[in-house]
Amino acid sequence: MEKYWIRNNIRRLRFNNNEMTQEQLAEKVGVTRQTIIAIEGAKYSPSLELAFRIAQVFGVPLGEVFSYTSEDEPA
Amino acid sequence: MSYKEKSIAISLVSYLMILGYYLVQVRRMIQAGGLVASELFVLWAVVIVATILVNILGNILASIVLAITHAIQTGSEQVERYVEDERDRLIDLKGTKIAYITFSIGVFIAMLTYMLGQSGLVMFALIIFFSSLAEIVGSISQIVLYRRGF
Repeated sequence: MEKYWIRNNIRRLRFNNNEMTQEQLAEKVGVTRQTIIAIEGAKYSPSLELAFRIAQVFGVPLGEVFSYTSEDEPA
Repeated sequence: MSYKEKSIAISLVSYLMILGYYLVQVRRMIQAGGLVASELFVLWAVVIVATILVNILGNILASIVLAITHAIQTGSEQVERYVEDERDRLIDLKGTKIAYITFSIGVFIAMLTYMLGQSGLVMFALIIFFSSLAEIVGSISQIVLYRRGF
């Protein structure tokens, strides 16, 4: 079975949003900075609610923040 | 290191001290001729009460000490923003699960020793030992999960 994982574009989206810091994003979505670091590093998959809140902060659809791709596919 | 990690680390040190105290007392009893029921049950009470106090007072003290440390390090009187989020709760649950598994294995081993002919006091002594060990293993696993990301 092909292996899939959740990738994210949070770093790029933060950069495009006036270089928003991890701390600022954490405050906006109501989590700790460590959780944002873990999500960005693809070490922790957020709940659906948190994923929607992150997408809401950047004003983009969920699919633009997170993607479910196979190992070979580009992010 | 996040606030939560520091708080767990402080609890871990306390649990290690409680286990150390317990082992020293049990060793003293064995050297004096063997386990004595009255002393062992007092020791059991001490360990349980100390563990409960560590859980309650430890958290309060940790908050105070960490707030003071934060104020000294940053030079600001503003309290560090702390929220317990979904990742904290999941790590907490995983740590508790690992602690329960450790304790269950410990109780099984303790009962096995009784079945194999050891006295009931040995079984009780082992149950206390594994309850303390379970708290330590649970705390260590939480710290590892925080360090790894999840």
